Amino acid sequence: MPALKLFPQLIAWTALAVVLLRGCPERRRLTAGACGAGFAAGVLGIVLLSQSFSATSYVVVRSLLGGNFLVLWVVSAAAFYRSTGRSGLAGPGAQAQARPLATGSLSFFFALTAGGVCACRLPAAGGDLLPLLAPLALMLAGLACLAGALAGERRLPAPLTVGFPGLLAALVALLLFSSSFLIRLDLFSPLSMKVMKCTHDFVHQFMESILIPDHIFVRPAIWGYIGFLFGKEVGFWGGMVIWFTPVLLVLLAIRFEPLPKVSHIRQGALRRKMLAGAMRERNLRQVIPALSLVVFAAAAYQSCYPTVEYWDPKPVLVTATAAGDILLAKKGEVDLGDGKLHKYLYRQGGREARFFVLMTPAGKLTVDLDACAICKPDGYGQTEGTVICYYCKTLIPLDTVGKPGGCNPVPVPFVEKGDGVHIDGLTLINAWSNTVQSTTKKESGK
Amino acid sequence: MPVTTIETNALSRSYGDICALKPIDLVVPEGEWLSVMGHSGSGKSTLMNLVGGLDRPSSGSLKVGGKDLLALSEDGLARFRREFVGIIFQQHHLVPYLSAVENVMLAQYFHSTPDEAEARLALERVGLGHRLRNRPGELSGGEQQRVCIARAIINSPKLLLGDEPTGNLDHKSTVMVMELLKELRAEERFTVVMVTHNQEVAAWGDRTIYLDDGVLVREERLRS
Repeated sequence: MPALKLFPQLIAWTALAVVLLRGCPERRRLTAGACGAGFAAGVLGIVLLSQSFSATSYVVVRSLLGGNFLVLWVVSAAAFYRSTGRSGLAGPGAQAQARPLATGSLSFFFALTAGGVCACRLPAAGGDLLPLLAPLALMLAGLACLAGALAGERRLPAPLTVGFPGLLAALVALLLFSSSFLIRLDLFSPLSMKVMKCTHDFVHQFMESILIPDHIFVRPAIWGYIGFLFGKEVGFWGGMVIWFTPVLLVLLAIRFEPLPKVSHIRQGALRRKMLAGAMRERNLRQVIPALSLVVFAAAAYQSCYPTVEYWDPKPVLVTATAAGDILLAKKGEVDLGDGKLHKYLYRQGGREARFFVLMTPAGKLTVDLDACAICKPDGYGQTEGTVICYYCKTLIPLDTVGKPGGCNPVPVPFVEKGDGVHIDGLTLINAWSNTVQSTTKKESGK
Repeated sequence: MPVTTIETNALSRSYGDICALKPIDLVVPEGEWLSVMGHSGSGKSTLMNLVGGLDRPSSGSLKVGGKDLLALSEDGLARFRREFVGIIFQQHHLVPYLSAVENVMLAQYFHSTPDEAEARLALERVGLGHRLRNRPGELSGGEQQRVCIARAIINSPKLLLGDEPTGNLDHKSTVMVMELLKELRAEERFTVVMVTHNQEVAAWGDRTIYLDDGVLVREERLRS
């Protein structure tokens, strides 16, 4: 049910429209108009782009999301700096919320991105629906959500206001939540992977720069601690820090915002009343960023535990001939040319190797280890047009499977004959041993 | 022309079949000290509760400080009580486990935000600068009533209501409390409505009205 798949995105879009309307209360009509136009443009733009350049549409939307996240970082850091009282400058965000052109542009841009994310979730053209029917239905659904947002926003308590950094935090959080359902748009997994790799590379470079040869002078226990830095947890927690810091900075900025000066007011009750009003207003402005924190957490959770179902068959045990030749029939119980991942397990003298056979979209058969040269051998799963490394969540386009390097599955030499695919058992076992030995060595730091 | 603080028109209050306050017309100008006298059950406290927004009338109209209390919602009425009215009760109603200064700060908290320095100052004004940290149980009746006065005036009310504030006090303490109220009224210029059945206490006011069985029977102007 494609419509149900879009449910989280449409909910996020509605919330995004509500936040925008609340953030720009002086110009509700303009904001609503820009939102509607932006959403429609986003859907249409991505549909048109994906018809010509399928992969580019994901790159465009992902770049927009990444850009938004970076902008949020800058804005939150600036807001935090201002809250310390070191800068007398007024936030440029206040102008963005007040000036018509800025309000319209802001609303249009975020609605455009939201529309783009929704469009990426649409089924590929040529499916059951007519190519233009699905985008049209999505645009109508988006406009209906916008109408709902317009009605719902009025029911929110009037004192619930949002400043520019809080507004941006909420918008970015909702977009990242929306995109976390699409594995190609998800940002948290690549972020944690980059942190993991960065830490890993830094430790290696550091060791090399101080000329410590491998493991001679350092006791194994210390390598155990260093090994922790190579673990997946470092990537996850490092990613979490980068992920949540901007919103936390926004919350702190609001918390530390100086209260208005009231010492000139002679009457104590009036002085306290003004102070209490300012404190209440400040507290209420924390509500939307605090909710954004929850949305960010939901996006990270969705990224760590995706609802995407991967094609990941149980490995079939295979045997070799006396000469050590493994033969896999092209067509038998399984059809190796069906474009799906077919996993196998080979055992020889107490050692074993896990591998898979895949027909790429280019029609080329490839045999690879179910492991890469970098990560722990957690294996691969297959999803729309890609295989995914379960360890680091890297997506590898099907066309590049069979090519060595990076997080690609390690290719295994094979011969394709009339009766099927022939693989040398010893070569396979050695390839697996070498790969797994090197990756687990990095993992444990030994 | 003086500004009116309280204006009632055919104001009445019934509890079931019992009519506690029969239709009454009353005008209290700003800054006046009005004493309300009558026997028990004459409707004095009912009138005070209505004027203070603690109760809603059965019929008639009631304007206090220009606000139509009948038109206010529960929240609006609570805001009105918080910002416009200070009340002194006969039974003090101080929180027993809080010190004098904390009792005053509690009123600040419900009004806006606590300010200990200001609460101390208020207690010093009522002559309790040396009793700030004492709990109500450690204070005499007169001192407790003075804490109540500090609590009532801390939020600068426009209207101060007293429901038999000296009912439990001896003569000396009564005089002390009344002098204090007079002094504060001169400084803060609030309107006072004081319910009492003590003629001597009523004599501190500018005007006295007499209620009998819920009816305004007599009015006496003591000073202009």
